Amino acid sequence: MPREIAIGGALVPGLLIWFLLSVVLLLLFDWVVGRYGLYRYVWHPALLRLAFLVCVFGCFALLNL
Amino acid sequence: MSVTHVQATPPGTRDVFVAALREETTTWLFVVKSLLAFYITGWLAMRLALPQPSTAMLTTIIVANRQTGMVLAKSFYRAIGTMVGALAGFLIVAFFPQERVLFLTALSLWIGVCAGGATLYRNFKSYSFVLAGYTAAIVALPVINNPLEVFNTVVWRLSEVLLGIGVSAAVSDIVFPSRIRDDLRRLCRAQFANFIDFVQRAVCGKVARADLENAHLRFVRDAVAVEDLRSSVIFEDPEARARSGHMLLLNQRFMATSTTLQTLHHLINRLKRKGHEVAADALIELYRPLAGALDAPIEAGAAARVLLPRLDDARQAISERKGALRANMSSAYDMLDFDTGATLVDRFVDELYAYVETASQLQAPRLFGSVTERVRFERGNDYFGSALTMVRTSLVMGVLSFYWIVSAWPSGASAMLLATVFAGLFAAAPNPAQWVLHTSLGFVLGTCASFICLFFVLPLMDGFGLFVAGSAPFLMIGLAMITWPVTARAGVGYCMGFTLTIAVRNEMSYDVVFFWNDTLAQYIGLAATGMAFLLLPPAIGSLWFRRRQLEKLRRQVRLAASAPLPGLRARFESMNHDLFGQIVSQTERGSQASRHLVAWTLSVNEVGRTLIELRSDMAGRPLPEEVREAIERTIDAIAQLYEHPDTAAYIYARDAVAATTAMIEGDEAMGLLLNHLNVLRLAMLDEQSVLAAYMQAHPPAQGVAHAA
Repeated sequence: MPREIAIGGALVPGLLIWFLLSVVLLLLFDWVVGRYGLYRYVWHPALLRLAFLVCVFGCFALLNL
Repeated sequence: MSVTHVQATPPGTRDVFVAALREETTTWLFVVKSLLAFYITGWLAMRLALPQPSTAMLTTIIVANRQTGMVLAKSFYRAIGTMVGALAGFLIVAFFPQERVLFLTALSLWIGVCAGGATLYRNFKSYSFVLAGYTAAIVALPVINNPLEVFNTVVWRLSEVLLGIGVSAAVSDIVFPSRIRDDLRRLCRAQFANFIDFVQRAVCGKVARADLENAHLRFVRDAVAVEDLRSSVIFEDPEARARSGHMLLLNQRFMATSTTLQTLHHLINRLKRKGHEVAADALIELYRPLAGALDAPIEAGAAARVLLPRLDDARQAISERKGALRANMSSAYDMLDFDTGATLVDRFVDELYAYVETASQLQAPRLFGSVTERVRFERGNDYFGSALTMVRTSLVMGVLSFYWIVSAWPSGASAMLLATVFAGLFAAAPNPAQWVLHTSLGFVLGTCASFICLFFVLPLMDGFGLFVAGSAPFLMIGLAMITWPVTARAGVGYCMGFTLTIAVRNEMSYDVVFFWNDTLAQYIGLAATGMAFLLLPPAIGSLWFRRRQLEKLRRQVRLAASAPLPGLRARFESMNHDLFGQIVSQTERGSQASRHLVAWTLSVNEVGRTLIELRSDMAGRPLPEEVREAIERTIDAIAQLYEHPDTAAYIYARDAVAATTAMIEGDEAMGLLLNHLNVLRLAMLDEQSVLAAYMQAHPPAQGVAHAA
């Protein structure tokens, strides 16, 4: 994973960008699941959300080696 | 006997014990959760080698709350505010890197604008304005000698705050979450039960006028409280988010129903006082079926649904009674009064039915269908007051900047920073000087604790585990203080002071001189803020501001008289309630000012609502030109009276109502309009209302005399 990403010539920490992207994906996921009432099949919704965030964030980190 | 006695006692003691324990559990659960979030954040921040882990840790303290929804809501707005503020700070540095005067002026103005914006909102939205203000200062001030660094500061600040927010949100959502949803449900249930019970007692005739006013106060508080909780609960739970529209609708219908009940009750009181017993008694007889219908035990569960068929029956019974009761009226005036009351009763029953229906939909485990009616809860904002806040905050910042420039004080940035934070945080509080005092006391205590911890405990500790062990006891004191209402503000100050001055980082520095220099600068910043609040007291809560708000409340009648009709009812009611709630929170309970205010609110509510009904009935039918003109003139005269109440305006409005009533009196087709006008006329003539002050000794004109 690149340690820093250049945006318009300014170096931004890579982790921050990937984290923000994962949070956006999480919000999207949360909205879809909430919209169709799928949280009823989940034991601990908050835990699911955190797990989702960890998985997505981890995937980004691994895919950008 | 002794056996029963022995059996009876142990559960009693045990219950007390368990209850006490449960109470303590929530306190310590909060402490443990906050500590967990604090140290996880600290560990991650150090692991990621962020330059200021203490900022991230401070974030967890600031968003800490017992309730998950509150944490999530505050986090959300903190994230937004931080982003906007960081951007603004970045731009300010980019524009004026060399010009310290322009730089500090721009910064002061920006902070002022944000503080002014914060006073326009009453929940966490205001917090995001505050943050946008002081984040700009936080990112811009430390790099004033080295402007090229600003981009990095912005990125670090964002990373630290987002880290703190993420960890806090995750911890409070996952570890024994305490749901605000349950509170909201309890509040809604209580509101429903209270209101139904109150209506039941009111229709039985068991409520006096003073009680009615107090009840109205309570209803307004409830309506505003529900709205505030609703705006936080949507962050916590997708199901609650789906119900949010219904909740708004319920609140709206609640407000409408309580206003109509007020109007009806006042009408009957007035008729009785004027000796029109026949019409008043007939009206009381007319709505009696309601008392029976509502006399059902209201418990948790299917309570609201049980009431619906009963209300239907009552409505049936009322329309059956109407004919017979109407036939009993002896004179044409009694007949008119009765018709007026009957229209109000019909409207009240319809609104009550709609309210109960929405409540039962909300109580159902699954929602059916979506909300057909879109409603908004509108706020009544005072832009002038917020402009004043803006000027004051900018001035404070300007003076401090000036002092900093002139004295060339090396720790000036620290002082200014803390002053910014506190000036922003407390700008919207009702008594900010006191807030600052309490928080400052806590802050001083926190820095003392931090001194002991930093120079006597931590040098002996090595590694993160021992750091936690060494600092947790100190922090626990502050967190426990937050949970007790008396010390809550001081507790927040304590935790902030502790976290700021201990300044945890990967390579700790134990520099006593630097510690005290920095801490003293922070004290001075705090003192400057406190003094600014004392010298330039905020407008909120002052007599002048209250008078302005009262004027604004009265102008609501003008809104009812001339704003476009679609959605006006909801707009009128919610703005009224919000304004009223604001004024109520700033006056002492039971004082002369408070009573005066309640009286005005009731009057505005009643007259404004009637004007809206009158206008919407008028809009749907063809009318002769001169009648339409007369009614419009009347409406205008009443709006005029509420805008600038004095004797002349009062007499003008009263005579206009009387003249218009006389004009359409004989016409059967205009019965509905006549009813509304009759409500207005009786409201004008009520000598116990606030308008009584303007009546004086002028005898009423001929058209009114016969009814009075």
